[in-house]
Amino acid sequence: MKVIERFWLSFCFFLLYAPILFLVVYSFNQGETMQTFDGFSWQHYQELWADTRLLQIVLNTILLALLSSLIATVIGTIGALAIFRTQRKLLKQSLLSLNNVLLVSPDVIIGAAFLILMTALGLKMGFLTVLMAHVAFSIPIVVLMVLPKLQEMNQDLALAASDLGAKPTEVLTKVTLPVISSGIFAGFFMALTYSLDDFAVTFFVTGNGFSTLAVEVYSRARQGVSLEINALSTLMLFLAFVLVLAYYAYSQKKQGQKTKLKEKVK
Amino acid sequence: MAAEKILEFKQVALSFGETEVLKNIDLSLDSGQFYTLLGPSGSGKSTILKLISGQLQPSSGQVIFDGQVINDLPAERRRVNTVFQNYSLFPNMNVYDNVAFGPRLKKMSEATIEEKVKEMLGLVKLSGYENREINELSGGQQQRVAIARALANDPELLLLDEPLSALDYKLRKVLQTELRTIQRRLGITFVFVTHDQEEALAMSDWIFVMNDGVIQQQGSPEDIYDEPVNHFVADFIGESNIVPGIMKEDYLVHFVGKDFDNRDAGMRPNEAVEVVLRPEDLDLTTPEAGKLVVTIKNQSFRGDYYEIMAQDDDLNLWQVQATNPAEIGSRVGLTFDPEDIHIMRYNESEEDFDARLEAYEDDETPTDPSDSADKVPEVFDHE
Repeated sequence: MKVIERFWLSFCFFLLYAPILFLVVYSFNQGETMQTFDGFSWQHYQELWADTRLLQIVLNTILLALLSSLIATVIGTIGALAIFRTQRKLLKQSLLSLNNVLLVSPDVIIGAAFLILMTALGLKMGFLTVLMAHVAFSIPIVVLMVLPKLQEMNQDLALAASDLGAKPTEVLTKVTLPVISSGIFAGFFMALTYSLDDFAVTFFVTGNGFSTLAVEVYSRARQGVSLEINALSTLMLFLAFVLVLAYYAYSQKKQGQKTKLKEKVK
Repeated sequence: MAAEKILEFKQVALSFGETEVLKNIDLSLDSGQFYTLLGPSGSGKSTILKLISGQLQPSSGQVIFDGQVINDLPAERRRVNTVFQNYSLFPNMNVYDNVAFGPRLKKMSEATIEEKVKEMLGLVKLSGYENREINELSGGQQQRVAIARALANDPELLLLDEPLSALDYKLRKVLQTELRTIQRRLGITFVFVTHDQEEALAMSDWIFVMNDGVIQQQGSPEDIYDEPVNHFVADFIGESNIVPGIMKEDYLVHFVGKDFDNRDAGMRPNEAVEVVLRPEDLDLTTPEAGKLVVTIKNQSFRGDYYEIMAQDDDLNLWQVQATNPAEIGSRVGLTFDPEDIHIMRYNESEEDFDARLEAYEDDETPTDPSDSADKVPEVFDHE
């Protein structure tokens, strides 16, 4: 039984990682295609380094993701607070449903809708329109991550704070927001990943002179994927691994501190 | 020493839609006293606390604090602090920051704050716990932090909303004593809410017994226990045997088919009344010597006494607390003294009750809660 379990698990992971591994291996290919492996070389990494347009787009994408998720986190958190404080049940349910509809509706529809709206408004397609669209589709994600934290929170905490002399704004900044901070961070990072890999919405609302990585890779892929993209993907994958490992190490350390303290208490 | 009146309710009522939660409450608290609001859940005792703290506003009437009407003053501007039932400590702060929360809002210097926090943690016996996280503390320790946090704000009035109900029996006893000590040391007025009559009797200078949004009776623990004004109070505070009777004349009551001498008076001749006999006032004796003859039905051992249920020939059940066991099924006598009999008239208001007691007891006892507002209830030591 154990052997079969192990085998199955390994098989699944192999399936998941095989295409990525394939991509990584060919990023070191001496040749220009993914048909045959002609020998090891760094040449595609050098090409990538020289491709300032692509690097510019990477920076654009990151900047866009950071900015849009930051704005979405602020708006989404305020929205979650507002929904949470809504007294009337029907209104509250409706607001929540409207939020969830945005979350599940296909990107293509959201993208098309934004295109129509922005054309109607006479906006010039570019960074600003993409940013607005990204903020818009990130807000429901943030709301969805923050709202459960508010519901989990002991409602007497706010009462206790005002009882101790905190004005409503102080209750919010000193108690409510810190208590729900894990939800706010989760919302921010979810929004960040959504923004980083969004293709459909961006494709609709971007214009001349501004492009994100997903859109750029797509347009290049139509002429056959250059191995430069493999090199870039490998680097980003590496970065992702480092981040995951760093987070793991951080949480282990925190866990360790907690248990140590617990022992001390005993 | 003339105590100052710190808080007053004048005809305070509160209703949510059709539901009347409080009905025209009048009460008055003197500074430096330990008050308890005692009643079953839903009696309105926590509502009174919320009206004092500012979480709720009365539908009508006046809440007066230090001579000023504070009906609409927001909670953060009242010099009143609350210890919550579920502690409600801020999980994002450690012990020190929790206690320092109030003083920091007042923009005190960090040195003053540190001194204050140290003093308060010392008061609740948690010195050295400054850097602990809240989730590392036991329930009892959390409640101590909650008390320190509320006291660090220098309230004139401390409200305690069933603060000990989540703790185990032993810990509850310890904290009862400590709370009483802290209250005496600081001289702050405490308003303690509980449904535990034992806790109320042990801690309070003055008790308000509540039911159905009305104060049923108020007085010192002794008054409440010895002279319950009605069936509810007699039944809720301590154990009681309550039987119907007839007050034939002053100092002569008729119940379970016999006449008994007693110490109550001021009623109409042959008025129907309720008779209260506390189980600990009843003694078992031989059938010949007993004022009543009963059959022992069952008994249970309670550690420091036996709880015995006995039945008389009219099928009335009598609860008796005895130090020695009895034999089940045996016929025994029940005896009690005239002063153990307490008489309650049907539908007598607390004012009438007090006035009647005053009238026939002459200057024997100082019980007159109608002018209690201007008088310090005596501090009774129950330890």
